[in-house]
Amino acid sequence: MTTSADVDQSAFVRALLDPELPPPNGVEASHGFAPERRFAIYRNNVCVGLVDALAERFPICLQLVGDEFFRAMAQCYVRERLPRTPMLFEYGDAFATFVSDFEPARALPYLPDVARLEYAVGQAYHAADAAPLPLELIRALPLDRLESATAVLHPSTHVVASAYPIVSIWRRHMSDDEMTPVELEHSEEALVTRPELAINVSTLPCGGSAFVDVLRNGRTFGEAMNAATAVAADFKLTDCLRELILTGAFVALSVAQ
Amino acid sequence: MSDKKLCAAFAIAGAFATAVALAETAKAANDQEKCFGVSLKGKNDCAAGPGTSCAGTSKTNYQGDAWKYVPKGTCTSIVTPKGKGSLEPISH
Repeated sequence: MTTSADVDQSAFVRALLDPELPPPNGVEASHGFAPERRFAIYRNNVCVGLVDALAERFPICLQLVGDEFFRAMAQCYVRERLPRTPMLFEYGDAFATFVSDFEPARALPYLPDVARLEYAVGQAYHAADAAPLPLELIRALPLDRLESATAVLHPSTHVVASAYPIVSIWRRHMSDDEMTPVELEHSEEALVTRPELAINVSTLPCGGSAFVDVLRNGRTFGEAMNAATAVAADFKLTDCLRELILTGAFVALSVAQ
Repeated sequence: MSDKKLCAAFAIAGAFATAVALAETAKAANDQEKCFGVSLKGKNDCAAGPGTSCAGTSKTNYQGDAWKYVPKGTCTSIVTPKGKGSLEPISH
């Protein structure tokens, strides 16, 4: 198949997404094959390739709805949103939002947040490497000045707050253990890090994702704590810090002089 | 420093001290090693050689070049239908 250089790209994309349309102007097939049939194969390959990419990126969502449902849903997403960059690991950035508006998936209200978590896992995997701050150095910090200290978070650090137990759902489907029911009536805030090679998904106490978001913006621990207690009056700071330290979320902590 | 600010500073200092102590205990209990050849397909923790990229991508059960984190000291005593676990990649 050859395309002449003057093929209008937007016309090409329209023909790519709509099987009813003829091949774009300028598309020819060699050896006398009908360009319609050749282009239909290309159209199919593009769609199947992107649906496969989504299936790899959102394996737990696929498990939750089943292969057939997932592929049908992913096809709708592909038609609505082709990749915006040549980097496939960024594909699916709007999938969670799409799923939340996808009428047939309404029966699983936690599905969009599970998709958010899975996207965060993918982003964490591809994030830059950085060495987590060793425990000895954290221990050596002047405790009385931590309130005005700021943190540099590991580039892989992501948080996803949900009204549903997304981490429990995610874990249950990742493990080999026998499936046990997940109590749906509680919220969870997920923390994703990749301190070395392995992805780590854990839960933060309620308010923890607000805490992390404020720190990420270069604000102090005092400000982060205010933001967290605004979300949850009984914010468990110790649990939150323990989880962040243990998962390698801190790369540097600087104490104001 | 106002009373309220002093209070927050104390709370953060205390929480940090406790959190570091808890993290140290948990870390010691959690020391893990990479174990090759013991993960079920799709359940590897990372990097399973050519054609795969990361976690959850190994194509066969007990794939020799896929590894999984297991508690330290237990890897080589894990017995699978394809043989024992290994600290180095293995070819079945």
